[in-house]
Amino acid sequence: MRVRIIGIGSPSGDDQAGWLVVDALAARADLAQRPDLRIEKLDRPGAALVERLGDADHAILIDAVQSGAAPGTLHRLREGEWAGWRGGLSSHGFGVFDALALAQALQALPPRLDVYGIEIASAEPGTLPGAAVWTAVARLAEVLQRGI
Amino acid sequence: MSESRNVSIRVPVLARVEGEGALDLVIEQGDIKELRLRIFEPPRFFEKFLEGRHYAEVPDFVARICGICPVAYQVTAAQALETLFEIDIGPWARAMRRVFYCGEWIQSHSLHIHLLAAPDFFGCGNAIELAQIAPEEVRRGLRLQALGNELMELFGARSVHPVGVRVGGFHAAPPPERIHAMREKLAAALPEAEALVRWTAGIALPPDAQEFVSVALRHPVDYAIEHGEIAASDGLLIEAAAYPEHFVEHHEPHSTALFSSYQGRPYLVGPLARLNLNRDRLPDDVQALLAETGFALPSGNVFQSMLARAVEILLALREALRLLADYHAPASPWVDATPRAGVAVGGTEAPRGLLWHRYEIDTDGLVRNARIVPPTAQNQARIEADLRLSLLNFGLDHADDALRLHCEKVIRNYDPCISCATHFLRLNVSR
Repeated sequence: MRVRIIGIGSPSGDDQAGWLVVDALAARADLAQRPDLRIEKLDRPGAALVERLGDADHAILIDAVQSGAAPGTLHRLREGEWAGWRGGLSSHGFGVFDALALAQALQALPPRLDVYGIEIASAEPGTLPGAAVWTAVARLAEVLQRGI
Repeated sequence: MSESRNVSIRVPVLARVEGEGALDLVIEQGDIKELRLRIFEPPRFFEKFLEGRHYAEVPDFVARICGICPVAYQVTAAQALETLFEIDIGPWARAMRRVFYCGEWIQSHSLHIHLLAAPDFFGCGNAIELAQIAPEEVRRGLRLQALGNELMELFGARSVHPVGVRVGGFHAAPPPERIHAMREKLAAALPEAEALVRWTAGIALPPDAQEFVSVALRHPVDYAIEHGEIAASDGLLIEAAAYPEHFVEHHEPHSTALFSSYQGRPYLVGPLARLNLNRDRLPDDVQALLAETGFALPSGNVFQSMLARAVEILLALREALRLLADYHAPASPWVDATPRAGVAVGGTEAPRGLLWHRYEIDTDGLVRNARIVPPTAQNQARIEADLRLSLLNFGLDHADDALRLHCEKVIRNYDPCISCATHFLRLNVSR
């Protein structure tokens, strides 16, 4: 089974959340050596995300979100909830959930897709992530590592 | 609907777009009283950022101007500086620069056709709706876009703000085995690109025939991408250094971007302008395909820009395949540069049209002054002129929604940076 784990983010403050989760997973020797597992970091993939998911049997996406919940809150974003997240934080008008809606319309979603959001406070360039985000990153990385 | 109605369509500053833009349209007594497209382009800030920077930093700095066409900025800057420094980067780097650039054309054009422009012509609000009625075509477009990105990654390490180009060549040369794998993918994509040309040629477009001057690079042999002289459809043919003698930028009170004019008039840059000037530089069989599809050039119907992009995707795939045919990794992917003081000037064909750079460099190799003229600013006056003519052709007595959609269609033809938003005009009507 081909598993693909994609962390989406930017180098700005809390927005690194998705990248930090995949960094934590990639640092584990047992996972790094698995040929069926591909781990990558993306920065605003836009519609290109559809092809990135391409041949995966199981894909896991991790992105930063802002819903008004406390920073560090972990969200499991199920398919029925995607519409509410469309047109959100992307600076290019075609965000992760737009890409997922496009994949859905094309019947190109992987057989299993898990989407996680980490609630962030701010994404200031040149700043480090806050403590709440670090805690959430460690927790999610642990959960994912056990699940795959 | 009464012809004497008054309509005011005002689009506020746009969120979630790369660059900011707005449109103001006021119709009074059945006539256009006010029509203003306002685009706020970021390169002006970059020109100031560059002052005092070392020449070697310039390619990476200017790559940040645009997330969709960073290669255009990098290559234009590097070539301008190499000309000033009298560096011959050699046949390998020259060819690979063109291949790198082809990747960007494939990526940017595929994105524009499928995600931004095509939905308009199928009555769809966005690409997601289009995917429901033309799934195979949208999927094909995404595959082509991904291939363009992959080609950019091959030479630039990443497709968004790549880091491969340096003054003197490239930082690294891809290994032959990766080039071999890429060639197989490019070859496999050729039939897809031909099918894309046929598909876009079959899309019903509003009839339109406007008169305008087309401006693009022109090369004695090649279809101009990364090299050539600046040509206009009235016969002008000049070196890049002479650009300021013929093309004038001026401020308009309603925009922070500069408007460009040629002989006091707006002009067109971009894929349709390129094809209008360089159709004889296309391979014979591509010209035959155009004839088969009924695409007559030169064209005054800017709605055909979408088809022009499809043709350029096919051309870029073929060029990349041709140039990678006998690939070998060079002993060094770059030659050393020794800076010299003077003025560096260069122009290339970004996906959206002519991109012109000018740098004043001092004896320490530091930038004293920079000037960057992006294609979207050059097209700004032409878009306004087109909107005016197109709306009059279309008829001002249409419903507000139809007027708004028509304005959007016209603007998106030009693939301005603000078109990163798939549906960027919000309508506010006051009567």
